[in-house]
Amino acid sequence: MFDFSIVTQWIHSFLLTTLGLPEWLTILTESVLVALVIITLYAIFAIVLIYMERKVCAAFQCRLGPNRVGKWGLLQVFSDVFKMLQKEIIKMRNSDRFLHDLAPYFMVAASMITFACLPWNKGAHMLDFNIGIFFILAISSVSVVGILLAGWGSNSKYPLIGAMRSGAQIISYELSIGLTMLTVVAMTGTMQISEIVEQQYEEGWNLFRGHIPAIIAFIIYLIAGNAECNRGPFDLPEGESELTAGYHTEYSGMHFGYFYLAEYLNLFITAGIATTVFLGGWSPLHIPSFDGFNHIMDMVPGAVWFIGKTMFVVFLLMWERWSFPRLRIDQILTLEWKYLMPISLVNLLLMATLVAFGLHF
Amino acid sequence: MDSHNIAFVILAVIVSCMSIMTVATKSIMRSATYLFFTLLGTAGLYFLLGYTFLGAVQIMVYAGGIIVLYVFAILLTRGVKDKLSENSVAKIVSAGLLSLVGLGVFLFLFMTYQFKAQVLTAPTESILSMDTIGTALLSADEKGYLLPFEVVSLLLLACIVGGLVIARKR
Amino acid sequence: MSNHQENSYFGGLFSGIKSLAIGLYTTMRELFVKKITQEYPENRAELKMFDRFRGSLIMPHNENNEHKCISCHLCEKACPNDTIKVIDEVIEVDGKKKKILGVYEYNLGKCMFCMLCTQACPQDAIEFDQSFENAVFDRNVLNMRLNAEGSKCVERKPAPKPAPAKPVTAQSETTATPAPATATANEVKSESPTPEPVVTPKSETSADKEN
Repeated sequence: MFDFSIVTQWIHSFLLTTLGLPEWLTILTESVLVALVIITLYAIFAIVLIYMERKVCAAFQCRLGPNRVGKWGLLQVFSDVFKMLQKEIIKMRNSDRFLHDLAPYFMVAASMITFACLPWNKGAHMLDFNIGIFFILAISSVSVVGILLAGWGSNSKYPLIGAMRSGAQIISYELSIGLTMLTVVAMTGTMQISEIVEQQYEEGWNLFRGHIPAIIAFIIYLIAGNAECNRGPFDLPEGESELTAGYHTEYSGMHFGYFYLAEYLNLFITAGIATTVFLGGWSPLHIPSFDGFNHIMDMVPGAVWFIGKTMFVVFLLMWERWSFPRLRIDQILTLEWKYLMPISLVNLLLMATLVAFGLHF
Repeated sequence: MDSHNIAFVILAVIVSCMSIMTVATKSIMRSATYLFFTLLGTAGLYFLLGYTFLGAVQIMVYAGGIIVLYVFAILLTRGVKDKLSENSVAKIVSAGLLSLVGLGVFLFLFMTYQFKAQVLTAPTESILSMDTIGTALLSADEKGYLLPFEVVSLLLLACIVGGLVIARKR
Repeated sequence: MSNHQENSYFGGLFSGIKSLAIGLYTTMRELFVKKITQEYPENRAELKMFDRFRGSLIMPHNENNEHKCISCHLCEKACPNDTIKVIDEVIEVDGKKKKILGVYEYNLGKCMFCMLCTQACPQDAIEFDQSFENAVFDRNVLNMRLNAEGSKCVERKPAPKPAPAKPVTAQSETTATPAPATATANEVKSESPTPEPVVTPKSETSADKEN
C-alpha cells in the first residue's frame, strides 16, 4: 500500500532544510496547512453528505429527491449554502449574545477535531495519539456543552428544552459508545488509531476477527452513534413537531449553518470511527488464501477504501434514520439504560473471555 | 524558545485569563463557560507535556462531565435571574483574606521550589503507554494503585445509592 | 401468550429486534421500488390523474348536446360555499309550464371540492373531472358556465335506451329559444363524441393564456 507519510515527510524536510525555516515556524506552517486541508475536506464532505442524505431519504420514501437545480439536483446543496451565507444573523434582545454566538463554534470545533482523528490512508493521520479512541470520545463530548450553551443563550423555551433533552440523550449514549469501543480495544490491545488499522490490515477486519461480540458491538455502535448525532429515531432534541427546531430554533444564517454542518459531519465522523474500529479503516478487503484477489484489492488506494466504507456505514445510519419513528424521551432513556448498556457490558465480558482464551481470529 | 515554549505561553495566558474571568463575571452561565475554557487550557498543557492520557481524561471528565453537570444544574435550578447574589462587606473581607493567604502559600512554594529547567523541552515520543497506566492502576504491588482505585469505585457506588435514596418515591 | 412474552425483558428485547428488522426490511424494499414522483412539466403530455381526483366540476353532455340536469337546485343548496348558481328557465311543453335549466353557473375560485353537490344530485348530472391545471391569471375566468350553449336535458320518460327517437322531435320544438346559429367552434368541440366532451370556457382561456 502507498504510504502517505512519504509526502508529509517530504513537506517537513522541504520546509525545514530547503527553505531553512526555524523549527517553530515549520510546525506553524504545517499546522496551518493541515487546518486548511481539514476545513476543505470538512466542507466537501458536508456537501456530499447533505446531497446523499436528501437522495437516500427520498429513495426510502419512494421519491426522487432534489432533481431541479443542476443535473440530478447536484447544485441544490450549493444553492442552499449560498442562500445560507447571504442570510442575516439575527440578534435577539434579551439573549446572552456572547454565549449565543459562541455555541455554534463549539459544535464545529468539536466535530473538526474529531474529524482530524480519522485515518484517511496509510500514514495520513492528522492527529494520532496513543490514546486515539479515548481522545475522540473525550473531544466529542465537548459538543454537548455547545448544545447546552445554544439552548441557554437563546433565552427561549424551545431551545432550552431541546438542549436539556439533547444533553440527557448524549450523556446516556456516550456510555454505550464508550463500552463498544472498549470491547474492540480489549481485542486489539491498543487505542492508537493507526495501530488499530495497521493490525486489521495484517490480520483482517475486527468485525470478522471478533465475530459475535464484535458484530453485537457494531450494531450497538450504529444505534448509539445515531443517537450521539441527534439523528434518526433519536432526533427529539430538535423534534420539529413540538420544539420547532430544538436547540437551534433561534439561530439564523451561518450560525444555523454551523449546526447544520456539524450535524452532517458528526454523521460522517460516527461512520468513520465505525469504519476505523470495525471495518478496518483504509485496509482493503482481504480473504485469507486468495492471494490474487488480495493483490488486486491492494491496488485500490487506501483513501478510496476508507471513504467507500465510511459511505457504506453512512448509508446504514441513514437507513436506520429513515426507517423508524421518533422515540419519546423516556423510551430513549429506557433503550439506553435498560437495553443497550447492559448488553454492551455483557458483550464486553464476552469479548474479554474470547480474548482470554484466544478464541478470536 | 522553540515551538513548545510558545505554545506553553499561549496556553498559560489562556488559562490565567479565563480563570480570572471565571470569578469576575456576573453571569453564572458565563462563569461556567470560562471555567470550561480554563479546563481545556489545562488539558492543552497536559498534551504539551506529552501526557495525552491525562489530557484526554481532563477533557472527558471535567469538560464533558463536570461542566455539563454544572450547566445542567444551572438550567434546572435557576430561572431568568442568573445573577449572583450581592456582595456584603463581610463577604468581601473574608474572601480577600482567604485570597491573601492562598497567594502567600502559593508564592512561598513558587519561590522556594528549585525549578529544574528554565525552558520546556519537547516530550519524547510515547512517554507513557496505555499498558503502563493500566497495569499501574490495577496492580496490587508496591507501585500499584489498586486500593485507591477500589476506594474510588466504592465512593461512586455510595454516590449511586445516595442518588437512588434521594430520587426514590416516598 | 405472546403478550406475556412481550412483557418480559428478553421477550420484549427479541420481539423488539424482530419488529425493527421488519421495519428495516420494509424500507429497504421501498428503496428498490419504482419511484412514484411525477416530474410534472416534463410528463405533461402523458400525466393522468387518478380517478378519484377532484379537479373541477363538470356537467357531462352526450353526443346530442344533452345533459342530465333537471334543475332541481339540490346541488345549489348542498354547496357550503355558494359556488353553484342554477338559473331556471320556464318553457311551455304541451300547454304545461315546465322548469328547465337555463344557465348553470359554477365558480371554481370558491369551490372547496367537498363533493357535496355531486352527492346531492339525484340525476348524476354533475361530476368532478381530473383536470388539475386550474390556475388562471384572471379571477373572472373562474366563473364558468357548465351547461353548453344550446344544450338541453336528456328526455328520460320512456326508459333511457330508446331515447334518441323521441327526443329528436322534442329538440326540434324547443331549440328555438337558444339560437343555434351562434354555435362556435367551442360548441362544435363539445358535441364531438369523445369521452370527455365538455370544454368549458375556463379550460379554453387558460390554454390561451399559456400560449
